[in-house]
Amino acid sequence: MDDPNSFLFTAGMFASPKTSRASRLQLAFAAMLAIFAANFLVGCRPKTPVHAGSLLATVQFEPNPPTTHGPVKLSVSLSDAAGKPLQIDQLEVEGDMNHAGMTPVFAHLHKTGPGQFAGEIQFTMGGDWFILLTGQLPGNTHFIKKIDVPGVKPQ
Amino acid sequence: MSVSDRRFDLLRVPVVGRFLRWRWSRAAMQTPLFLISAVMIWHAFFGPQLAPKNLATLLAWVHFRGLVVLLLLLGGNFFCMACPFMLPRQLARRFISPQWTWPRWLRNKTPALILFVGVLFVYEWLDLWSDPWATGILIVGYFAAAFFVDLFFKRASFCKFVCPIGQFNFLASSISPLEVTVRDPNVCVNCHTHDCIAGTHAPLSLANFDATSVALIDASAPAMTHTCGKLIQRGCELDLYQPRKVGNLDCTFCLDCVHACPHDNVGLLARVPAEEIVSTEIRSGIGNLDRRTDWSWLIVVFVFGAVLNAFAMISPVYTVEQAFVRATGFDSKLPVLAALFAFALLIEPAILLGIAAWLTRKTADAGVSLWMVINRFTRSLVPLGLGVWLAHYGFHFLTGFLTFVPVAQYTVRTTFGVDYLGAPLWRLGGLPQSLVLPIELGFLGLGLIGSLGVAWRIAADFAPFKTLKAFAPWAFIAVLLFTSACWTMSQPMDMRGTFVAR
Repeated sequence: MDDPNSFLFTAGMFASPKTSRASRLQLAFAAMLAIFAANFLVGCRPKTPVHAGSLLATVQFEPNPPTTHGPVKLSVSLSDAAGKPLQIDQLEVEGDMNHAGMTPVFAHLHKTGPGQFAGEIQFTMGGDWFILLTGQLPGNTHFIKKIDVPGVKPQ
Repeated sequence: MSVSDRRFDLLRVPVVGRFLRWRWSRAAMQTPLFLISAVMIWHAFFGPQLAPKNLATLLAWVHFRGLVVLLLLLGGNFFCMACPFMLPRQLARRFISPQWTWPRWLRNKTPALILFVGVLFVYEWLDLWSDPWATGILIVGYFAAAFFVDLFFKRASFCKFVCPIGQFNFLASSISPLEVTVRDPNVCVNCHTHDCIAGTHAPLSLANFDATSVALIDASAPAMTHTCGKLIQRGCELDLYQPRKVGNLDCTFCLDCVHACPHDNVGLLARVPAEEIVSTEIRSGIGNLDRRTDWSWLIVVFVFGAVLNAFAMISPVYTVEQAFVRATGFDSKLPVLAALFAFALLIEPAILLGIAAWLTRKTADAGVSLWMVINRFTRSLVPLGLGVWLAHYGFHFLTGFLTFVPVAQYTVRTTFGVDYLGAPLWRLGGLPQSLVLPIELGFLGLGLIGSLGVAWRIAADFAPFKTLKAFAPWAFIAVLLFTSACWTMSQPMDMRGTFVAR
C-alpha cells in the first residue's frame, strides 16, 4: 500500500482524469469570471456616503483640535449654496469614530441665530471621528451632512 | 481503560457531540456564516459607507476577529471548522473535480506568509477598519481565492498553503485546550485501511463492474475493495495521518477523519495547552518543525505582527512616522508604512532572534545550525503572540460586542423603510474601557507565562545541564515583547487613518 503520509496519497487521485482541454476551459472561464467581478466591483464603488445636496456646513470646536478631556464646545453654521442661512429650527448631531464597534455620541444643540447652532459634545476616544448633521429643511426635506473631525486628541 | 477514556472528549458530550458527529454538521455551521458573509458583502457595496454603521466593517473587524481569538483560547480551531469560504468550493467540487496537484515548490507556508503580511499591510495602508467598500473587496477576494484555488488544485490546497486566516488559526490553536486526535493509539496499530487520510470507499458491487472485472477481484482482499470503490467520505485533505499527527498545526477541525474512521477512534480531546509546541516529534503532514524555517517566519509575523498591529492604533506611532517623514522627506503613506513593517517584521526579529539563538547555541555548545535553534525556540513566542492578539482584538470586541444590535436595526430601517427590529438602540456598546484594560493585561500576562514555560521546557530539552543559560535570551525577548505590548495597551487609543497628510 502507498505511504498514507504522502501528499500524493489522495482521494482525488482516484477520480477519473479529464482532458487537459477541459482544464484549460476551466481556467479560461475562471479568468473571465475574475476579470468581470473585478471590473464590476471597481466600477460600483459609491462616491459619497451621504448626500446633502448643495448644503454648506461649517463646524467649529473649542478647543481645536478637540480632545477627549471633557466636553468640547461645538458651533455649527448652515447655509445654502448662495450662502444664505438655512431656516431650520432643529439640528441633530451624532459623532462616530471611523472605526466600527464604537458607541456613537450625541450633542444637544440650541439655536443661536439663523442657521446657527451651538452645544457640547463629548468625544470618548482619540482618533478620527466624523459627525453627522441631521435636520429637516423647509418643505419636509430631510438632510444628512457628514463632516470629518480628524485627529481628536486622546487625554 | 484507555488513555482517552480519562480525557474529556467533546464528541462524547451528549448534544454537542452528537451534532458534531453528524455528517452534515460542518455544512450546518458553514451555511449561516455564509449567509452572514453574503449580507456583509451586500452591505459593503450597497450600504452606507460609514464604518460604524456598516455590517461589513463591524462584523469583520470587531466581531469576527474577537470571537475567533476567544474561541481559539477557550476551545480550538472552530472557525476553520465552520469556515464559510469553503462552502462554495465544496458545492463546486460536486460537479468539477480538480485536476492539478499543488506545485511541489510551493508546498510550504511561503504563499500564506506573503498573504498574511499583505493583509496586515493593506489593513494599515488602506485603513480597512474605516472602509466598508474595501472590506467588501477583501471578503469577495477571499471567497474567490478559496474557490478558484480549490477548483483547480486537489485536496485542501487553499487551507494548507494559501489561507492567511488559516495559518493564524493553526498557530493560535496550538494553545487551545482541545485537539483532534486518536482516542486509543492501539486501535490504529491494527488498522489496515487508513481511512482517516485515505477516505472511506464504498465496496465494489456487481452494479459497478462487468463480470470480467468481478471475476478478477479477490473478495477476501479488503484493501483492494477499499481503494477501488467510490469515495464516500473524504479523509484528511491536509495530509494529517492521525496516528502520526501531533497537535493542531495544519488541522482545520473539519472532522473528516472522525467521519472516516471505521473504528470511531478519533475524538476532540482535551490536552495541556501549548504542550505540542515543545514536541520535537516528526509530525504527519508537516515533518520536522526544527527544519521548517517557513513555519518560523510565520511565527515571527504572528508574534511581532501582533505588537505592530496594536502599536499602529496609538498616538506614538504618529510621532515615529512624522520623524521618519522629516528624516527621509517622504510625504506619502506607502514608504513610511513599508519602512515600519520592514523594521518590525524583518530587522527587529532578525536581530533579536539571531542574537538569542547565537547565545543559546554557544551556551549549549551544541553542534546544530543557528536556524535549527531559531526554529525550535521561536515557537516559544507563540503563546505571547496569541496573548497580544487577544488583548487587541479582545479590546474591540469587548468594548463593542453589542453594537451589532443597533447597526442591524439601522440596516433594516434603511433597507425596508420600516423598523422591523425596532428603532436603533445606539446606546448599546459593550464593557467600559476601564474594565477591559485589566482583561487585556490578563491576556498578556497569560501569554507571557505560557511563553516562559514553553521556552523553559525547550531549553531543558536542548541543554539539560545549562537550561537557565539557554532559556535566558528567549525569556528576555518574551519579557521585552510583553513590556512593549503592555505599554501599547495602556496608551490611549488613537485610531487614525491619514496620518502623513497631517
